[in-house]
Amino acid sequence: VPLPGSMDAGVDPGLLPRPLNDMEPVPSSWAANCHPRYLRLTCNSMPNSHSLVSRWHLPLGAVVHPLAEAPPGEEVPVVNFGATSIVRCRRCRTYINAYVTFTDGGRRWRCNVCVLLNEVPVEYFCPLDANGKRKDADERPELSQGSIEFVAPTEYMVRPPMPPVYFFLIDVSASAIRTGMLQIACETIKASLDKLPGYPRTQIGFITFDSTLHFYNLKSSLTQPQMMVVAELDDPFLPMPDDLLVNLSESRAVVEALLDSLPSMFQNNLNIESALGPALKAAFMVMSQLGGKLLVFQSTLPSLGAGRLKLRGDDPRLYGTDKEFTLRVTEEQFYKQMAADFSKYQIGVNIYAFADKYTDLASLGTLPKYTGGQIIHYPGFQPDFHGQKFSYELGRDLSRETAWEAVMRIRCGKGIRFSTFHGHFMLRSSDLLALPAVDCDKAFAMQLTLEDTLLTSQTVYFQVAVLYTSSSGERRIRVHTMAAPVTADLGEMYRSADVGAIASLMSRLAIEKSLSSKLEDSRQAGQARLVKSLREYKTLFAVQHRTSGRLIYPESLKLLPLYVLAINKSLALRGGFNEVQADERSAAAFEMMIMPVSRLLKYLYPSLYRIEDYLYQTAKSKADPVELPAALPLTAERLDPRGAYLYNDGLRFVLWVGKVLSLDFVGLLYGSEAAQASDSSKAFVAEHDNDLSRRFIAVLNKLREKNTALHQDCLLVRQGEQPRESILLLQNLVEDRTVQPFGYVDWMIQIYRSVQQT
Amino acid sequence: MDFNEIEQTEGLRLAWNAWPSSRLEATRLVVPFGVMCTPLHPLEGLHLLPYDPLLCKGCRAVLNPYCRVDYQAKIWVCPFCYQRNHFPASYHEISDRNMPAELFSQCSTVEYAVTQPSTTGLTSPSSIYNQSPGLGGAPGSGVPGQAGGPGFLFVLDTCMGAEDLQALKSAISQILGLMPETALVGLVSYGSMVHVHELGYPDCPKAYVFRGDKEISSQQVQEQLGLTGKTNQKGVAVGTGRGGRGRFMLPLSECEFTLTTALEELQPSSDPVQAGHRTRRATGAALAVAVGLMEGTMPNEGARIMSFVSGPATVGPGQIVETDLAKSIRTHQDLVNDRAPLFKKACKFYSQLSQRLVANCHVLDIFACSLDQVGTAEAKVAVESTGGLMVLAETFDSDQFRKSLQKLFSRDEDGNLKMCFNGSLEVITTREIKVCGAIGPCATLNKKSVSVSDTELGIGGTSAWKLCSLTNKTAVAVYFEVVNQHSNPIPNGTFFFIQFVTQYQHGSGQVRLRVTTTARRWVDSAQIQELAAGFDQEAAAALMARLAVYKTENEEVFDILRWLDRMLIRVAAKFGDYQKEDASSFRFSSNFSLYPQFMFHLRRSQFLQVFNNTPDETAFFRLMLNQEGVVGSLIMIQPTLFSYSFDGPPVPVLLDVSSITPDRILLFDSYFYIVVHYGSTIAQWRKLRYQDDPSHENFKKLLEAPVGDAEALLEERIPLPKLIVCDQHGSQARFLLAKLNPSVTHNSNQYGSGEVIFTDDVSLQVFVDHLQRLAVQGS
Ligand SMILES: [Zn+2]
Ligand SMILES: [Zn+2]
Repeated sequence: VPLPGSMDAGVDPGLLPRPLNDMEPVPSSWAANCHPRYLRLTCNSMPNSHSLVSRWHLPLGAVVHPLAEAPPGEEVPVVNFGATSIVRCRRCRTYINAYVTFTDGGRRWRCNVCVLLNEVPVEYFCPLDANGKRKDADERPELSQGSIEFVAPTEYMVRPPMPPVYFFLIDVSASAIRTGMLQIACETIKASLDKLPGYPRTQIGFITFDSTLHFYNLKSSLTQPQMMVVAELDDPFLPMPDDLLVNLSESRAVVEALLDSLPSMFQNNLNIESALGPALKAAFMVMSQLGGKLLVFQSTLPSLGAGRLKLRGDDPRLYGTDKEFTLRVTEEQFYKQMAADFSKYQIGVNIYAFADKYTDLASLGTLPKYTGGQIIHYPGFQPDFHGQKFSYELGRDLSRETAWEAVMRIRCGKGIRFSTFHGHFMLRSSDLLALPAVDCDKAFAMQLTLEDTLLTSQTVYFQVAVLYTSSSGERRIRVHTMAAPVTADLGEMYRSADVGAIASLMSRLAIEKSLSSKLEDSRQAGQARLVKSLREYKTLFAVQHRTSGRLIYPESLKLLPLYVLAINKSLALRGGFNEVQADERSAAAFEMMIMPVSRLLKYLYPSLYRIEDYLYQTAKSKADPVELPAALPLTAERLDPRGAYLYNDGLRFVLWVGKVLSLDFVGLLYGSEAAQASDSSKAFVAEHDNDLSRRFIAVLNKLREKNTALHQDCLLVRQGEQPRESILLLQNLVEDRTVQPFGYVDWMIQIYRSVQQT
Repeated sequence: MDFNEIEQTEGLRLAWNAWPSSRLEATRLVVPFGVMCTPLHPLEGLHLLPYDPLLCKGCRAVLNPYCRVDYQAKIWVCPFCYQRNHFPASYHEISDRNMPAELFSQCSTVEYAVTQPSTTGLTSPSSIYNQSPGLGGAPGSGVPGQAGGPGFLFVLDTCMGAEDLQALKSAISQILGLMPETALVGLVSYGSMVHVHELGYPDCPKAYVFRGDKEISSQQVQEQLGLTGKTNQKGVAVGTGRGGRGRFMLPLSECEFTLTTALEELQPSSDPVQAGHRTRRATGAALAVAVGLMEGTMPNEGARIMSFVSGPATVGPGQIVETDLAKSIRTHQDLVNDRAPLFKKACKFYSQLSQRLVANCHVLDIFACSLDQVGTAEAKVAVESTGGLMVLAETFDSDQFRKSLQKLFSRDEDGNLKMCFNGSLEVITTREIKVCGAIGPCATLNKKSVSVSDTELGIGGTSAWKLCSLTNKTAVAVYFEVVNQHSNPIPNGTFFFIQFVTQYQHGSGQVRLRVTTTARRWVDSAQIQELAAGFDQEAAAALMARLAVYKTENEEVFDILRWLDRMLIRVAAKFGDYQKEDASSFRFSSNFSLYPQFMFHLRRSQFLQVFNNTPDETAFFRLMLNQEGVVGSLIMIQPTLFSYSFDGPPVPVLLDVSSITPDRILLFDSYFYIVVHYGSTIAQWRKLRYQDDPSHENFKKLLEAPVGDAEALLEERIPLPKLIVCDQHGSQARFLLAKLNPSVTHNSNQYGSGEVIFTDDVSLQVFVDHLQRLAVQGS
């Protein structure tokens, strides 16, 4: 009888572990810990010594998602101390939290992080009950809950809280116009004006550019915007001191007039140049007074002025050489410098990229990377197919919870410290992350180091604090606190491992390594780490379980080999030159660097459902389409030509339709035209007037509700339709051998062998 | 000789109407052989010939009444180079009874409506000449298929108060109504930055913006505006392929609404002004951009760049003062003492700008309405060499500004604009004469013909000049010298000839060529009476004035007053009638008698005396002098003073303080100022409103007469003179007193009629006494 979590070398693939059910993280049994949606440790037991850490082999750290959206009723409570200063430890500046202890009848409190005894401010005093607990502890969220948001008094401000600022930098060159994005961008922005947070303080402004920069005077007294062209690219300047960035509520009419006319203004533009660099400088000049969010809409390789980029990403000669990684980082100092300036002046950059040709996202991505932003990539953008997605995502960007001029710090108890940070931010000092405009869709990862040789405490505390300006104009501090026990037992560490957090950190480390080494080296590094840890586990337990001939792994990490395989097979890391276009690889890498754990896991091991029976059977049902059939292993073997399958990787849906399945099925879901066409790339999912379609759309929407960060298209592909079938589906079936030498089974055998070699 | 009458047939006033035939003798006449030439002088009965002129194949002079014609052989002989020329076929019916108009003796001036201008063009080609399609093109002929014109590019300073800007906008809106519909118009506005408005852009108001604090080349301007072919390929010109036409310069009929809207939306510059600093005003950059725009849009087509300036240029090229208020704007004193660090740089900038303007036939006008200087001293070169207009006023709300602007757009009886563009003036002379240069609102065309002298007076080294803009009043002074050697005697009374050929674009758009051939006699140097009789003292004074100003401006450390004095003494010594060493015996014949007082007033004039004037004002006065004809120049030099009284019709009175009496109204005209001055008694009656009493009808008429005459004077001048109506002893009376001869000063003992001038200037009488004393001393 095989032990759980072990396998023979010649094992039945059907028995391999798979994440076929959505795994929500389990809240800690320690009630005062924050919810894991905000903070997850890779190991919920902290090693007490260096030797233990060195035998752990896996990353030791945390994944923080500080502004994660909470379901209704679970929002982070806001606490206002009013004129009283926020109570913090005098020495280590830890915020008061549920883990502090009160003494001296409530007159003093002991810091859980550094154990210093602090005076309780008079205004905050409350007597203790018989158990030494403050009598008001249950009424005070900061003394009873793991996540809290303090309203900060003026001492937390270096200047008055900034208003929300949205600045749009739009490529209007000929190729940008051809993509058709301008119309949708303008319509979406216009439709979002009421949803922009921070009314009535919100500010807005626009620059468009091709070979010249176009500024818009939006002064509220005007009836229509005035356009000002600056063609001086070497030393761009602002054509007027004010009114390029205006209060939205005051200038609403002018802003709308501009959005109405922008598409037609450039509809015949033949200018193919892109002066993105000078445009960025100009936007910086406009925004630097306040900071804010800069949304860049880019469709062309920047060709003029500073930050001009070369066509380099499609140079196959570099692949496989030591210089290969240079294609995945920027060669232009300009973008790094610009990113540093943006960060310093509280400007967060998001880049919407639409080109179907190479635009060097590796370089452009430098801007979001260091300013807490993101790249949103629409390769081969077509309004009919991607418009809805773009519109949703831009709309969300403009309406989602955003923290302005933020800094984030994570504190932890004596003897350990966070040493490396992974994600989109600028490190301002050794442990302070500058996040000019951070939102609810960004997660950060970090690794821990033990400072002392031996931890003496029983518990280690972690406290994440984000100091930011809310859209409403309040300075706030969001604080998440978590405690973890200290252990001297490696086995305990394995038992308390969080495979999701580990996968998240490992994926980030792998991507970062790919920015300075070959892809192959990066993949090898992840594999080696996996092997070492399994070998350590084997040494730990082999004797005990008499399983020397078997690969054994802890239950908590049973999915880790699969996830490491999936990381290596992800768009960001898979293959070589031929497999993935440079920009797509960059975009995927940037995306993985900011994904929260749950989204990453879905991305690494997407869900595959057989759906045609389900749809036919439930077509008449009015009930919520929650109960989909069980997800299937990701392998082409499971694709039945008589069936239809829905694939969901959290970025998009793919509907795969078998050859034998009746054409009617496609017709009902995608329209008869799509059913007749040999090419599914023009098929666009929309609700049609039939029960099947309505049901299908309901299913999709239900799934979308679980993933609000972006909009998932549903692409149609039919069996045998190449190369579409490969690109959209087959290459992503991680258990198959499609893109790497390994399928899941091969991989496990390979890992097994490596573990055996001592 | 009535020189005025001759002017009415030729448009010419010669200082000397008879010339000594030897070079040596000629130099002894002291006053240069100059001609005040008004190329488009309105002439009675001028013939407009609907065909092209016949040119001498030797010297390219135009057929004229002084040519010898052999009707039999159908040959004409050029009086300048003696070349025999055959008449072309179109003249085959020519005979002594069937002469073409240009051969009629009374037609020494004719005008041709040129039909094929460029090829039959003028005289021998010179490089610049040929580059200019204007010389031989219908308007816009440089760009086939593009009609419309002339061009008017408004360049508006916005660094001013809302009220002043509003006044400026409405003034411009008004003149839009006076412009031909086909005129191409454009708009540039500036503060510390320069905005070029794209009037042809349909979607919203759009402007290209340039920094104001940097030099910007024509190429950069054109590239940034998308006017060059190179950027067109990139599609920068929004794919119109029209360059600047249709985008920045449009027919008024097409863009009146956009232009009016753009004007309306212009706001006073919002550039923040630091405490203790002047507004950042980039006048130079704005003009450089405007010139660049016009170069790229209407090269070689008549156009005006009309700039409206409200204060000193404080940033960028052409800067005249720093923004720091602790630094004051340069004065004449600073210029003399080399304490104006920005001056030379700015002058150099405008000098380069002026060359570009001239090369493209574009005119620069400056309307400076400011209490401060704006920098017209530095910019003058560009205005003057293009024949532009300069107006100095205090506000854009003033009549002086508004009416001057409107008058620029006045029409002739056929409804054509009176302004002409794209002119050139060429001079062809008899061999014994050479041309030394010209002084006036013109620029050299570098034509090195045989008529060009080695001696330069004014703009020399050429026999042709460009006049980017001219009106029928524009006058150019042309200076000649006699080069005939003494050893080559010419019979007394022989004629010599000078031909003035002026090509220009008429207000109707037609290209015309006016040809004036003038003949004067050689006189043997012994016949000094005959020489003296031909002296036109008014023309001489005007010519001397221009020369004196030119020398002051262009020759280093030149003591112009001593030079003028020496010249005058030599004239007196040569042409006066006197006994040696006896000053009291000195007499001048009537056609010399006024010359000393012209010189006296010239010495004291604002053209040579800069005390009390700013460099900007001086520049303005000199510019005006350099384009005005003889009559106007004399008024500028020696103002006129008329007395109105019950004694009879108005009479001229001495420009002397003694002319002020209580019962007179004086009408004073210094060209720039017109003063109506009421004697104290008249003033009192006026205050008592006697003029409203029907029984004092005559008093009413007396009051009205000088005002009516003053208004008539205002009517004929651009820019408008300043009109001052004042009472004796009133504070405004200082404008009159400053110009009167101080025969009675606080230094003299003659306290006569009660008016005393506080000045240390010598009086005319003292001046003349000195002159006579020195003249009779001999040398
Ligand atoms: Zn502490
Ligand atoms: Zn000849």
